[in-house]
Amino acid sequence: MIGLQHYLLVSAALFSLGILGVLTRRNAVNVLMGIELILNSANLNLVAFSRYGAGNLNGQLFAVFVIVIAAAEVAVALAIVLTLYRLRRTPNLDAADLLRG
Amino acid sequence: MQEIARSLPHFGAELVLTVALLLVVLVDASGMRGRNGLCRALTVLGLLGALPLGAVSGRVADEIWSGMLVADPLGAFFKVLLVAASLLLVLAFTFRNSSELHGLGHGEFYALLLAVTISNLLLAAANDIAMLYLALEMVSITSYVMVAYLKGDRLSNEASLKYVLFGAVSTGVMLYGLSLLYGLAGTTSIPALRDFVAAGVPAEGRGALYLIALLTLAGFGFKTASVPFHFWCPDVYQGAATPVTAFLSVAPKAAGFAILLRFFFGALSTRGAGAWDYAWTIDWVQLLIAVSVATMTLGNVAALTQTNMKRLLAYSSIAHAGFLMMGVVALSENGARGLLVYLFAYLFMNLGAFLVVTLIHHHEGTFDLRDYPGMHRRQPFLTVAMAIFLLSLMGIPPLVGFMGKLYVFAAIIERGPAWYAVVAAVNAAVAAYYYARIMKTMIIDEAASERPAIRLHGADFAWVLIFVLGNVLPLFFWSAIEGWARSSLALYARL
Repeated sequence: MIGLQHYLLVSAALFSLGILGVLTRRNAVNVLMGIELILNSANLNLVAFSRYGAGNLNGQLFAVFVIVIAAAEVAVALAIVLTLYRLRRTPNLDAADLLRG
Repeated sequence: MQEIARSLPHFGAELVLTVALLLVVLVDASGMRGRNGLCRALTVLGLLGALPLGAVSGRVADEIWSGMLVADPLGAFFKVLLVAASLLLVLAFTFRNSSELHGLGHGEFYALLLAVTISNLLLAAANDIAMLYLALEMVSITSYVMVAYLKGDRLSNEASLKYVLFGAVSTGVMLYGLSLLYGLAGTTSIPALRDFVAAGVPAEGRGALYLIALLTLAGFGFKTASVPFHFWCPDVYQGAATPVTAFLSVAPKAAGFAILLRFFFGALSTRGAGAWDYAWTIDWVQLLIAVSVATMTLGNVAALTQTNMKRLLAYSSIAHAGFLMMGVVALSENGARGLLVYLFAYLFMNLGAFLVVTLIHHHEGTFDLRDYPGMHRRQPFLTVAMAIFLLSLMGIPPLVGFMGKLYVFAAIIERGPAWYAVVAAVNAAVAAYYYARIMKTMIIDEAASERPAIRLHGADFAWVLIFVLGNVLPLFFWSAIEGWARSSLALYARL
């Protein structure tokens, strides 16, 4: 029988993988994929809590909004990464090293 | 339907701004002649209209839009402050006096500015963690685009890249915390969360609540540029166009503190006999004291060695976030009032300093402090104005910045640990050093070579003067301002 704890374990794993991806990847697009994992782990939490614990639909509603926000955020982030590529011919984050100190 | 009819009268400021935003987009897309001036006029009109509407939304203290937002005096204070920040920005920083924005589209800039303003208002009035997250992301996403506004500029691109990646991760971590909070409490409404926490969290839930406070702090820390989520701040401030930097340093930070106050006071505190207390289950006050001390110390120490003015002011704004947090940490009405007064002061002193930096860049093409010597001969007015802004940032009486520091320090001495007040005082002294260094460079140092005087445009002169008056005059109306801040908290404290 699959219960709340299984969902929470999967979401915790997704969250950790997302953080790991963000910290270790050098390609900006891969970092964005890590961010997606983080957001979706929270979505999984929200929906699972809504289904098993809270007894209301607030969590599922919240998750729908998060999906919309994630799409908007990725659209803006990809546009910025595209500009990075145009200016420097690489999607590599190490190339962005002008600002420091 | 009834709910909509009930909510609309308290939602006027946001509606007016939305209409202005749509009109600006339409006018800009129409391609008609003179559309740049029309866009600016529409933006100014929208902001002017939103100012009184934001103020009257505080006549009640009621949940609107089915509990998503709240209309209360605290929200009204922040609405007026946030709209005023946008208004001052549009009027004082124009496409004419910023050589960075020269040649770029006007309409998009005003549309983005209005969008950030609307989302700032929503953030300051959020009453539900779903709304909190939505508004926070809306502020962030529109700010990312504003930072990236200088399209072909490598610095601007790099700044926006760092901003978007840092912001997305911070708010993502915060969202994970909020999802756990929903699981723990079974509700997303902030008042319901307060009831949940006040009823006493079972022992096995306390660790989870502490973890949630840590995770959500990532988002709040990002928005207010507090350690350890401040890394984006210097790079973004340096890379973005100066008017954008000036705006980001004031408005989203103020909205971030508004929601920090609502979340930590509103959801995680209880009001006992006469005094506020953090909910006994979780000691977030210690957590925020650590963040505050680290923030002001790091900001001030890092600012000591900077030579780029935008970067220096970025570290200075990080340090101010640490001081501002003192008002939250005091966990008293005096502390919260100190936060409001400090934000009011911060609006005039920081925007003023950035205006001078913008004007000098416009005429000289430099942000480097090493190009500032001899400024007292070439432009005495700007030099004196900058000195006043810096003295205000330092917290020297009788300028408005002093009042901000006075209130938060008083609140901490009254409530908090003594060592915290001492650390903050030492920090204020360190900050005085680098502000004084700028004044010394401008007033005492002589330029290596003689250069012509800078001639200011009349409007620029007038706006610098207005900001100077904004730093000097409030003291003469202090009882009114103090009363405004006090009454903004009155109803909130009763909740």
